[in-house]
Amino acid sequence: MAGKVEEEFRKLSVELRILEDTAEALQSRINMVNAVVTDLTYANMTLEGLGKHKMDSELLVPIGGSSYIKATLQDPDKVIVGMGAGVSVEKTLQEAKEIVKKRLDNLDKTRMSLQQRFTQVAQRISEDRAKLEELVAELRKGKPSKNV
Amino acid sequence: MSEEISKLPPQVQERLLRLQQLQQTLQSVLAQKQQVELELTEIEQALSELEKLADNAVIYRAIGSLLVKAEKANVTADLNERKELLNMRATVLGKQEGRLRGQLKDLQAKLQQDLSPVSPSSR
Repeated sequence: MAGKVEEEFRKLSVELRILEDTAEALQSRINMVNAVVTDLTYANMTLEGLGKHKMDSELLVPIGGSSYIKATLQDPDKVIVGMGAGVSVEKTLQEAKEIVKKRLDNLDKTRMSLQQRFTQVAQRISEDRAKLEELVAELRKGKPSKNV
Repeated sequence: MSEEISKLPPQVQERLLRLQQLQQTLQSVLAQKQQVELELTEIEQALSELEKLADNAVIYRAIGSLLVKAEKANVTADLNERKELLNMRATVLGKQEGRLRGQLKDLQAKLQQDLSPVSPSSR
């Protein structure tokens, strides 16, 4: 009987470890998606704002470290959008806004699906932990305490 | 745990060590393969976007943190070349993965035999 409980305890411990690793990996992917969403939201805000400015408007372009250089808006309707693999393409402002919006929509779907999977895994972890506690109690009942 | 391992026969200890090394190598191969596959997906996406563009579209290529104007044909050729190279690398890594998995399976079977108690009926 105790052997069976011990076996179950071992299996559950392994499962719990795998689940915890999965939860950690999912959380890290959610964080990555969130970072990209923030970046794209920022791009979206910039594109929205850019539409309100005319040619030759004076701009300050961030160069990092809270520092800026002065620039002049040469063509408010032309935006260079990254396509991945180091390739960027010139698009109209409207096209750029649509691309950013599409990417944000896709990321939202990914985030929701990851969140759903995370919730399921977290639920399973909490169930397994409860079961594990029950098994520990059962094992303690079965064996005399050694004051460990 | 290491104390328990040191009680095992030297041949089994050696096999356990080899198993650990194989697992580490497999992890490293898998990580490299994943990286290659990620880059391949990105290149394929970029190529499919490029295909939709007119031949005279304004395209830039990243060189470090700079974007340099480039011709569509040149960029497409470069990406296809890189894709071919990565596909070859992915095939090599896939073969390496298969070989390592095979070796791991054999070693695990041997270790299971080494570590399982001998049943009286088998004597």
